[in-house]
Amino acid sequence: MSDAALAIKGLSKSFGGVRAITDVSLAVPEGSLTAVIGPNGAGKTTLFNLVTNLYAADSGAIDFQGRSIRGLSPGAIARLGLIRTFQSARIFPGMTARENALAGAHMHLGVATWKHMLWLNSARREERSLAAKADRLLELVGLAVFRDVAATDLPMGAQKMLEVVRALMAEPRLLLLDEPAAGLNDAETAELAALLRAVRDSGITLIVVEHNMSLVMGVADQVVVLDAGSIVAAGTPRAIQQDKRVIAAYVGSEA
Amino acid sequence: MNLAIQIVIGGLLQGAVFAVIALGFSLVFRVTGVLNLSQGAFCVVGALVMYTIEVSWGWPTPVAAVAASLATAAFGLALGALCFVPAVPRLPTSSMLILTAGLLTLLQGVLLIGWSSQPYALPPFSGEAPVVLWGVRVPTQGFWIAGITVAVVVAMWFVVQRTTLGTALRACAENRVAARLMGIDVPRMTLLSFGMAVLIAAISGIAVAPITSLEFDTGGFFTNFGFIAVAIGGLGSFLGSVAGGLFLGVAEQLAAGYVSSLFANALALALLLMVLLWRPNGLFGGGAVRRTDVRDEQRIYHAIVRVQGRGGLVFAAAAVALVLVLPLLFPSAGILSSLVITGILYISVLGLDVLMGYAGQVSLGQAGFMAIGGYTASILAVTYGVSPLWGTVAGIVLSVAAAWVLSFVTLRLRGHYLALATLAFGLLIDSLTVGMVDTTGGPSGLAGIPAFSVGSIVFASPIAMYYLVVGIIIVLVLALYGAMRSGFGRALIAVRTDQTAAVALGVNVVRYKLAAFLISAALGSLSGSLYAFYFHFLAPEMVATPRSFEMIAMLVAGGEGTLVGSALGVALLTLLPTVFQPFALYKTLAEGLLLVLCFMWLPEGIFGFATVQLARWLRRGAPPATAAEKAMP
Ligand SMILES: Nc1ncnc2c1ncn2[C@@H]1O[C@H](COP(=O)(O)OP(=O)(O)OP(=O)(O)O)[C@@H](O)[C@H]1O
Ligand SMILES: [Mg+2]
Repeated sequence: MSDAALAIKGLSKSFGGVRAITDVSLAVPEGSLTAVIGPNGAGKTTLFNLVTNLYAADSGAIDFQGRSIRGLSPGAIARLGLIRTFQSARIFPGMTARENALAGAHMHLGVATWKHMLWLNSARREERSLAAKADRLLELVGLAVFRDVAATDLPMGAQKMLEVVRALMAEPRLLLLDEPAAGLNDAETAELAALLRAVRDSGITLIVVEHNMSLVMGVADQVVVLDAGSIVAAGTPRAIQQDKRVIAAYVGSEA
Repeated sequence: MNLAIQIVIGGLLQGAVFAVIALGFSLVFRVTGVLNLSQGAFCVVGALVMYTIEVSWGWPTPVAAVAASLATAAFGLALGALCFVPAVPRLPTSSMLILTAGLLTLLQGVLLIGWSSQPYALPPFSGEAPVVLWGVRVPTQGFWIAGITVAVVVAMWFVVQRTTLGTALRACAENRVAARLMGIDVPRMTLLSFGMAVLIAAISGIAVAPITSLEFDTGGFFTNFGFIAVAIGGLGSFLGSVAGGLFLGVAEQLAAGYVSSLFANALALALLLMVLLWRPNGLFGGGAVRRTDVRDEQRIYHAIVRVQGRGGLVFAAAAVALVLVLPLLFPSAGILSSLVITGILYISVLGLDVLMGYAGQVSLGQAGFMAIGGYTASILAVTYGVSPLWGTVAGIVLSVAAAWVLSFVTLRLRGHYLALATLAFGLLIDSLTVGMVDTTGGPSGLAGIPAFSVGSIVFASPIAMYYLVVGIIIVLVLALYGAMRSGFGRALIAVRTDQTAAVALGVNVVRYKLAAFLISAALGSLSGSLYAFYFHFLAPEMVATPRSFEMIAMLVAGGEGTLVGSALGVALLTLLPTVFQPFALYKTLAEGLLLVLCFMWLPEGIFGFATVQLARWLRRGAPPATAAEKAMP
């Protein structure tokens, strides 16, 4: 499939005896929003860790926009435009919310550091335009009030939002979000849904791991159900909602 | 042949102390994951307490030995309970390492006050006459050392492997959390391991004191070599520690006996760097049982200290104005001179701040770069008539090159291994400055260094030097401030606080660590050159490893990650001894105490604390910025 942003074939990974991911194959069309759901311990985060090569896969192929990225360093993968967030919001302590957002733009800094050392105008201009962009995004997700607050002082939900903003600042082509709605209240979840749609409509491909069913069903183009490391179902949200195996997997292991 | 045997015996006796200290390192490391650098000082505490009890009070030797060991252990337990145990769960490994370096300095300060700075030697336990065995003369004390070491090692082995106490200790070593869940009192075990390590250090210190002369600061030497031994043998491995200690002692003595003692030191340190590079787990056996990842992943963060906007400008203007008029306010020559030294050291500490405060890489070898810069510029000026300016530039180039080579070792290492590689580097430079007598003048130093000059402008007077240094500092602070508030600074902080997340955003971690390291080397070197040109003299101890520790104390006390904050720390520790003469005696103690206290209670440092308080105070008047907190529950 040539129009797949991400194509995974036969991916497997085990930790000692635990088979966290078993023979997973998955194609994510360019410009789509794919949701990955599944009970705790299903291997969703591990799937992200394998794609970004935080863990080396045991076997399988991972192609990003037609080229194999398996074995590339996590940094190199990020530089190709594949950006992820973490389940436990890994925002940078020691920085304000805005600085965290700016840190996301790291790969797009054009001005050499020595120009900053000399306080040259070109350097200040770049900083200002990046800051303006960060502020716009923070505003969009309702974090403007926290702009100059230490990121670690933000409530958990805000930290997760901030991580999404930081990832967006990296101008990803493919964005992997690990449970972005965890810790958000209903109103914030609705905002997140709007944000995700807007991101997708701007042309960024998304894969979202999520437990919140109403969020998933509302925004996803494609839903993939993972259970015990294997894909048990994949399809449109509506098809998934009616799938007996999915209901079994959920009712069976989550109650 | 006899000579060789003689040397090997000497080496084994020397190595016995290293082995016992290494054993203490391993014990504490296994239980807590912390390398306790204060270990070596307790040898000296034990020996000097013994001296007082045995020689001054005239108690019989066996009674005095037992009393001194127990007294030292009690003292160690108190110190451990106050400063070590409460810190272990709170601080990341790298901070713990510096905390224990602070304890080492503190102990040396205590010894300096209690026993002043003269060398001590105990009388041998059983007379001066050596025993002659097959034509080899062995001092009787040698048998005592051998016997005591064997007894200590066996006793340790027995306690750890064969008692329920040992089982609990080993459980902490395997997994602290699990141990706690199993009902083991982890803090008590931590204290116990600390106390046991102190006790065996004191015993071995007492045992070797008759054949070694000890001074208040010999503890640093013991710590260094005990550490090299444990790194060679394998951190956390008891057998490896003992083997590493004996091996190091013999290798040292052989190299010293057949080549030179300079070569011996250099050999030991080169050996250490090679081991760290190729076999970080040590040469003997598997070494570290602990997984270091858990503590390394612990998030390191200090409060965000930013003086921004108009407030920042006002603050900067006031600071510059103050600095410019300072010499006019205090015309005394002594104070002016201290101000110049403050400025020069601050340049080096600035580099350290970029490396430690921003990039989070602990360096215990900053003085090594001061030495390279100082000696390169001075030797070029004195011997080859090179102008100070070019000499300084040459020093910087050499330092950066040295840092680059060293980075092949350090960039692969994290946490304490990194800190220790830089310590090894610093010690290596120490032994070179002392040992290369023909080039550096050796221990007596290098005299006749000219004043700093640029072209025909000579900065001969202290006041000229003061304004030169202030000018350099202003330029450096502006440049670094510019860099730190750009993507460069953010990348450094990202590397410090969460490497995984940084990499996931495309930050090239290695490159930024290297950049920070090279900056710190360059600034250390510049500072060292200026130091030499200011004093017209340079001796090894002016730029030796204690200086590295001192600069860390200055940085931590002033405030890490703020660029300007550390100036307060430098000023405090440089000016106090000048203003208040009797303080000179207490300086070492104060440095150690400051480091320990700041780590425990003032992690943001003086500057950080002041700005945070100021910001809070200012906010109280202004319309509540806390609206933000209300907006989102
Ligand atoms: N580093 C690791 N070492 C050992 N086992 C691991 C590791 N990472 C994940 N696992 C195991 O792999 C399995 C899948 O874990 P994973 O975190 O991917 O699940 P998940 O679907 O993200 O669950 P959750 O909804 O709780 O986040 C689990 O059994 C987990 O224990
Ligand atoms: Mg997960």
